[in-house]
Amino acid sequence: MDEDPRANGESNDHSNPSKKPKISSSLSLITQLQIQQEFAHHQDGVARINNGSFGSCPASILAAQRRWQLQFLRQPDSFFFNYLQKSILHSRTIIKNLINAHHVEEVSLVDNATTAAAIVLQHIGWGFAEGQFHKGDAVVMLHCAFQAVKKSIQAYVTRAGGSVIQVELPFPVRSKDQIIAEFQRALVIGKANGRKVRLAIIDHITSMPSLIIPVRELVCICREEGVDQVFVDAAHAVGSVHVDVQEIGADFYVSNLHKWFFCPPSVAFLYCRKSPLSLNLHHPVVSHEYGNGLAVESSWIGTRDYSSQLVVPEVLDFVNRFEGGIDGISKRNHDAVVDMGEMLAKAWGTVLGSPPDMCPSMAMVGLPASLGISSDDDALKIRTHLRDHFQVEVPIHHQAPKDSKVGARNGNNCITAYARISHQVYNKVDDYIKFREAINQLVHDGFTCKVLSQK
Amino acid sequence: MASPQHHPRRHLFDLNDTAANTNHHTPTKKPKLSSLSAAELCSEFSHHDPAVARINNGSFGSCPATVIAAQRRWQLRFLQQPDDFYFNVLQPSILRSRTLIKDLINADHVDEVSIVDNATTAAAIVLQQTAWAFAEGRFNKGDATVMLHYAYGAVKKSVQAYVSRAGGRVIEVQLPFPVRSNDEIVREFRKALEQGKSDGHKVRLAVIDHITSMPSVVIPVKELVKICREEGVDKVFVDAAHAIGCTEVDMKEIGADFYTSNLHKWFFCPPAVAFLYCRKSDETLDLHHPVVSHEYGNGLAIESGWIGTRDYSAQLVVPEVVEFVNRFEGGIEGIKKRNHEKVVEMGEMLVKAWGTNLGSPPEMCSSMVMVGLPTCLGISSDSDALKLRTHLRDCFGIEVPIYYRAPKDGEVDPITGYARISHQVYNIIDDYYKFRDAVNKLVNDGFTWAALSD
Repeated sequence: MDEDPRANGESNDHSNPSKKPKISSSLSLITQLQIQQEFAHHQDGVARINNGSFGSCPASILAAQRRWQLQFLRQPDSFFFNYLQKSILHSRTIIKNLINAHHVEEVSLVDNATTAAAIVLQHIGWGFAEGQFHKGDAVVMLHCAFQAVKKSIQAYVTRAGGSVIQVELPFPVRSKDQIIAEFQRALVIGKANGRKVRLAIIDHITSMPSLIIPVRELVCICREEGVDQVFVDAAHAVGSVHVDVQEIGADFYVSNLHKWFFCPPSVAFLYCRKSPLSLNLHHPVVSHEYGNGLAVESSWIGTRDYSSQLVVPEVLDFVNRFEGGIDGISKRNHDAVVDMGEMLAKAWGTVLGSPPDMCPSMAMVGLPASLGISSDDDALKIRTHLRDHFQVEVPIHHQAPKDSKVGARNGNNCITAYARISHQVYNKVDDYIKFREAINQLVHDGFTCKVLSQK
Repeated sequence: MASPQHHPRRHLFDLNDTAANTNHHTPTKKPKLSSLSAAELCSEFSHHDPAVARINNGSFGSCPATVIAAQRRWQLRFLQQPDDFYFNVLQPSILRSRTLIKDLINADHVDEVSIVDNATTAAAIVLQQTAWAFAEGRFNKGDATVMLHYAYGAVKKSVQAYVSRAGGRVIEVQLPFPVRSNDEIVREFRKALEQGKSDGHKVRLAVIDHITSMPSVVIPVKELVKICREEGVDKVFVDAAHAIGCTEVDMKEIGADFYTSNLHKWFFCPPAVAFLYCRKSDETLDLHHPVVSHEYGNGLAIESGWIGTRDYSAQLVVPEVVEFVNRFEGGIEGIKKRNHEKVVEMGEMLVKAWGTNLGSPPEMCSSMVMVGLPTCLGISSDSDALKLRTHLRDCFGIEVPIYYRAPKDGEVDPITGYARISHQVYNIIDDYYKFRDAVNKLVNDGFTWAALSD
């Protein structure tokens, strides 16, 4: 059969990539200058403090991706028959090791977390349609779950007759204990009247507002409360927090690799713990491999460009050029973003939305109340204004205060909006200073969102 | 903030010109670029492996260097400032591509045109809707879906995954191959519809290929759609994966409810992009992209315009592709015509050299032709066909798919292997001579399967 050891994932270089980072003798640590060169394609003049939304990809990985694309274009049939599957398997094996999964069959590559959600939720949908679940059986999700996932729940669960329990999490938040307590409470209430909970969908890192959720504890609570299956939507996780699927203990776990793990758009993995229940998951785009297991189905969903799935080995080499590899990168990103967050909060007289230990490589920084951000619409408008007039790219979250006495305060007024700042290896202190100054300018000019609405 | 390079508003302006243009065969009014010289043509496809006689455009298509370069510009634009791209550039650019396609295929409304990755995805969209209809009780268990026996393997699996699983019955239309005329196809199709309607059941969906994959034959879709209407079939889905750039594609002429074609096969787009046309009707179609995102409920075309973060660049180069094809004499029509004539000519050259026959008359061929292989090669299974294909690739530098045609009772020394040869603008006559000579050599050397097994 195939002589290439990499096909079996047995390369020594990649067997334990999350442990000691390998720095080969021919490659010294990456320098600051090299880092800037790797991201020289980012638009000049923009303070790009939103790595969380669309991620980023270094030039050497883009070059590797082009090589793969050209290889396909040069002789696509040979590529399809001789290279594609084993290269996908190689990527899957690296990921398996990265996340501490036991079997490579548990790791499937898909486009993004949105696709993974569709896979898991379609499976639940069939459960209702085929009578294994009863009308009214429930799915639990966080109130701040990503909107695309909420729509997917509507499309596959509600439509099929399932009900939805939403868990409201407090924000701003002071500790993970608040989250655990709230989740437990909501789950118990939700199960009232003997409703069976078929699936819990829990974010590992919420999107807006962004927080690290204590998933391990929440998965335990789910098991205690008799939830059938748990799906962790960890779109942001790989490359920003430590991911160990054994520790977390979920049935399904998805993370994007193009957000914080330097892959080109787009690629994500869906981990499905081996069990009789996981056998019947299918990729919704059905092709020749239907019935051969999700991982194999996902590796061929018709003719398309699979190159972003094939550069995982090159990405591993890239992160290992940094001190401490991906763990070192995520730690430094976390420390820097907290630093910058605190700098901004101090400058504006506001606060962070959570304690530092609940921040990944992103932080929620309160904006001055005088800006008068009082709706989601306002938040988007101010984001656009910052982009167009100040060249600052940062998403803004509107948080309606529940109780004006209890909400976070900015002087005598409530904070109603938070900026989600990100830090990735290409960011510099100047990016955040630029943001600080932009907001200071707006406040100084007496700017409010009402002004924007009049435009 | 000034955007680099292509400013989306300029293209929106062009878009208005395009929409007003009634001649859908030449969708752009911009001054024509000069015709491609032979040297330029060669250079456009110089990234193809020069050692390979690439006579299989049908499987994975091809993309000229100019279009690849355009795609790279789009990719770079996203990477430069993805948020700005997402908020300001992506949707108008997808709309522009959809509008060009609408004109190309003679659809009435741009709402009817959605862009997806490939025909496989389009099939999943249509079939998932059918599954819901069963699950929600609008269709009765046992209601039928009719499809061709030669339907593409992936589509068959999709029918299994969505229709059979939901309780629908599947009826396959047995088509003869080799085939002599459209009448043979029409006859078998009518039989299958009768079967579907038996026991008071309804035929809810007919899935009809416009050009079958293996063996490749042009199906008289217009006629079959008419028969479906006469026989009370609910909906007709034409799987025309190969069609655009390869045969006539006119939505109003064909009259199907759903029609999909890949643009990366015969229309020079990079991998991968396809359109799914859904005819506007009084009844809500309720089609959804299976990857559900923010735009759920806003119509299939809008849903398909955002299915999470990914590289949409292949969908954005349609304008550049239209410019490319218009550099050829007669545009896409001229390319189609010449491809067809050439592939038939080459097919006839090969059958004459080998003493075999074509699998269908020329008028049932598109830019692909089924060429009988010498019987002495002894191809006797699908596995043999694949082995021969691999052998031709590895030992002769020829890329061509082989189809195994099982002999029927009573046939004497029938042809059991057909090669599906393609012709696209980059092909040269030597590609086919190389194939002719390779097969002749195998025959002369007394080729055996035992020899291949090592």
